[in-house]
Amino acid sequence: MQHDDPRNGESTHRSSKKPKISSQFITESDIRDEFSHHHPRVARINNGSFGSCPGSVLAAQRHWQLQFLRQPDAFYFNSLRDGITASRKIIKDLINADHVDEVSLVDNATTAAAIVLQRIGRSFAEGKFQKNDTVLMLHCAYEAVKKSIQAYVTRAGGSVIEVRLPFPVNSEEEIISELKKSIDEGKSNGRRIRLAIIDHITSMPSVVIPLKELVRICRAEGIEQVFVDAAHAIGSVKVDVKEVGADFYVSNLHKWFFCPPSVAFLYCNKSTTSSDLHHPVVSHEYGNGLPIESSWTGTRDYSSQLVVPAVLEFVNRFEGGIEGIMKRNHDQVVKMGKMLVESWGTNLGSPPEMSAAMIMVGLPSRLCLNSEKDALKLRSHLRDCYEVEVPIFHQVPKDGEEGVRDKDGFITGYVRISHQVYNTLEDYEKLRDAINQLVEDGKTCKMLFKE
Amino acid sequence: MASSLHSNNTQICPNPTALNGGSAADGNSQISKKPRLYADPPPLFIPSDIISEFSHHDPAVARINNGSFGCCPSSVLSAQNQLQLQWLRQPDDFYFNQLQPKIIQSRTIIKDIINADHVDEVSIVDNATTAAAIVLQQIAWGFAEGKFCRGDAAVMLHYAYGAVKKSVEAYVTRAGGYVIEVPLPFPVSSVDGIVKEFRQALRRGKQNGRKVRLAVIDHVTSMPTVVIPVKELVTICREEGVDQVFVDAAHGIGCVDVDMKQIGADFYTSNLHKWFFCPPSVAFLYCKKSTNNSDLHHPVVSHEYGNGLAIESAWIGTRDYSSYLVVPKVLEFINRFEGGIEGIKKRNHEYVVEMGQMLVKAWGTRLGCPPEMCSSMVMVGLPACFGISSDHDALELRTCLRDKFGVEVPIYYRPPKDGEEGGVVTGYARISYQVYNKVEDYYKFRDAINQLVDNAFTCASLPIS
Repeated sequence: MQHDDPRNGESTHRSSKKPKISSQFITESDIRDEFSHHHPRVARINNGSFGSCPGSVLAAQRHWQLQFLRQPDAFYFNSLRDGITASRKIIKDLINADHVDEVSLVDNATTAAAIVLQRIGRSFAEGKFQKNDTVLMLHCAYEAVKKSIQAYVTRAGGSVIEVRLPFPVNSEEEIISELKKSIDEGKSNGRRIRLAIIDHITSMPSVVIPLKELVRICRAEGIEQVFVDAAHAIGSVKVDVKEVGADFYVSNLHKWFFCPPSVAFLYCNKSTTSSDLHHPVVSHEYGNGLPIESSWTGTRDYSSQLVVPAVLEFVNRFEGGIEGIMKRNHDQVVKMGKMLVESWGTNLGSPPEMSAAMIMVGLPSRLCLNSEKDALKLRSHLRDCYEVEVPIFHQVPKDGEEGVRDKDGFITGYVRISHQVYNTLEDYEKLRDAINQLVEDGKTCKMLFKE
Repeated sequence: MASSLHSNNTQICPNPTALNGGSAADGNSQISKKPRLYADPPPLFIPSDIISEFSHHDPAVARINNGSFGCCPSSVLSAQNQLQLQWLRQPDDFYFNQLQPKIIQSRTIIKDIINADHVDEVSIVDNATTAAAIVLQQIAWGFAEGKFCRGDAAVMLHYAYGAVKKSVEAYVTRAGGYVIEVPLPFPVSSVDGIVKEFRQALRRGKQNGRKVRLAVIDHVTSMPTVVIPVKELVTICREEGVDQVFVDAAHGIGCVDVDMKQIGADFYTSNLHKWFFCPPSVAFLYCKKSTNNSDLHHPVVSHEYGNGLAIESAWIGTRDYSSYLVVPKVLEFINRFEGGIEGIKKRNHEYVVEMGQMLVKAWGTRLGCPPEMCSSMVMVGLPACFGISSDHDALELRTCLRDKFGVEVPIYYRPPKDGEEGGVVTGYARISYQVYNKVEDYYKFRDAINQLVDNAFTCASLPIS
């Protein structure tokens, strides 16, 4: 039961001490209430992009905000720092870090990437790294991370290697083999690979990466540091930073861990990372360590960093706590994915065991989704005309490869469906029917109006 | 309730007969000089309106420190809450269809208020601390990429804000730059002393063939607070060949006159949550359009990298951007005061000077500067008998005032200079005046200090923490 689970947080937390009997679990109607601020008619199957936050956590957030507004000076001097430390301690336990010093709270994974990469940039500028020393990333890395590499690595003289992620993917071995190829390429011509940036769960297309194995390979191949971009991880897969063994690990708490926008944690392994990590927004706390620097970046609303205890209370109202939520989300999203595949005659983008609470589902080839623009048009059309919110991925066929087919042609588009506790079967049926309607009407992406 | 300026559903006024008379209870609805947002503008605030707008403030506290964290009226908080709910309701739709237009709307309003030429020159960021990081980061690149020579200088005021000083250390000193601090007299009696010190500092910066790459000038210093003659200092910078001038006006908008073309700096930042009634937190960074500063980037890099600072700053990953979006609502609020923001500034200044003079008379001390060199804040000398002799003493006294007397006011320790006699004032309180303040707040402070004097209080008697 959840009160035995060390990852449920400090024992100061009242609710984690009581053994739960089943009548105390959150009910379906409670869940509807908690998410009653969501648009009632929208089939919201995109928790992956912007996450969600239940009403009770929003109420806790408002309480913190009002405390600050009521007497900001007293709040700053007496409450803020302790509140952030309490959140950091809960996170430390959840992710199995050794020291709370290893846990910093920042706005989002995008900010964490800037922190890590700014340091790489400084190393080039200060002559610690040589021109053409290399950073390795996945080809499908999140666009903000790619740009951050451009801004801080390429600009400073470093070079970049992209690891191609095969998609659709059939096994972990495919990914492992691509990584090995890229590392060999990187080390050719005597270049040093200073940093590998590995996603735990890629964004678009979404796949769960065999992280532990990839980190092991990076170490074995002498890559200096590993930064895991796990924006989607906490609340959707197990997060154990000691087991993963990376130097840096970041995850957003507002995606799958019910925090309001926005808050993320950045874990920095004490023994392998230097103290020369800094928040780019420099305050009077500069030099006091990244967690302290990040806890004050000028006057801001820090309430999203303060509600982690309230989130833990919420999560523990579910049977099995966060583990139960993760398992049910995974089972449901796979089930819904298969339901759509069967209805549309298409495919899943990855085997179920390589997905968490999101899965890629092939769209009928008859939609003729042939570009990013088509994908965006279709997404807008689904939003505006069918009240379905789901992100769409355009799969560029690889040269010389056949690609996956349905009965009419090549599958070039995928939806990324998410499942979170507020989703219902009707959400996915709405998507199923919308796509079937479009196909039946003979619509292609090019024919769709931009609303 | 009227909705935002450019919404298709703007309620102009459903009742045409109301066009002729305004509301019955109010005779002054036409005074504001600002362009009208409605056919029938809402009436000016009466005192009970203001009490209600700030009813979320702790009623037991004499809150005379608007300068540190600002304030936000409840009608603006409501508007912010609406925006937050819109996002939570359907974030994808908000992201694709609402967020960018609303940010542009805020930027456009700011552009007009500060007399900038193009909306491209106006970026919205979290706070002046972030703006400083943006400006200073490009200086660091200048050194790293060999545009600047090691030892080229940056000049800043000795009273520059702590965060800005650290930012200069992180981005300039670390990158090989040489930093010069301009000492400023305090208490200050005229602008001449400031101008003289500044010129001297620039000359030092140019010694040994160095170039001064950046001057960081406060418009209104924080602690101790003084209004700096920025226009004059910017002119001197141009005369002396300084590359770029960055004005840190954290206390600028809503507190002093903010006219970009008149001031003439390359960069100018001001917080909107301090004196412009926005919720925490939001600031603007003005960057004069020129070839000199096309290399500005937000340090948090998103997919918008390279699309210009204003666009980069409008998306730095998933965040709550609601504080950036309430500027139209804030303008509505401000325009319900007689004279709009100009009226507010004028009255705040007059009252804070009046209150400051009341206090120095009661305590037998002095103001830290002449009235014309202060804005809506002023430094008021504390009785010398307290024996404030360190920053620690100042903080402890502040805590004592908060905890025992219900008075919130920041205290500055002013070290005695060589040759100054005993009995010199070494502690100053920085009092603020904002629309929610009342004379009782300052009486409470006056009486607290008088009681401490009566009790023969000294900082030496404070517990050592």
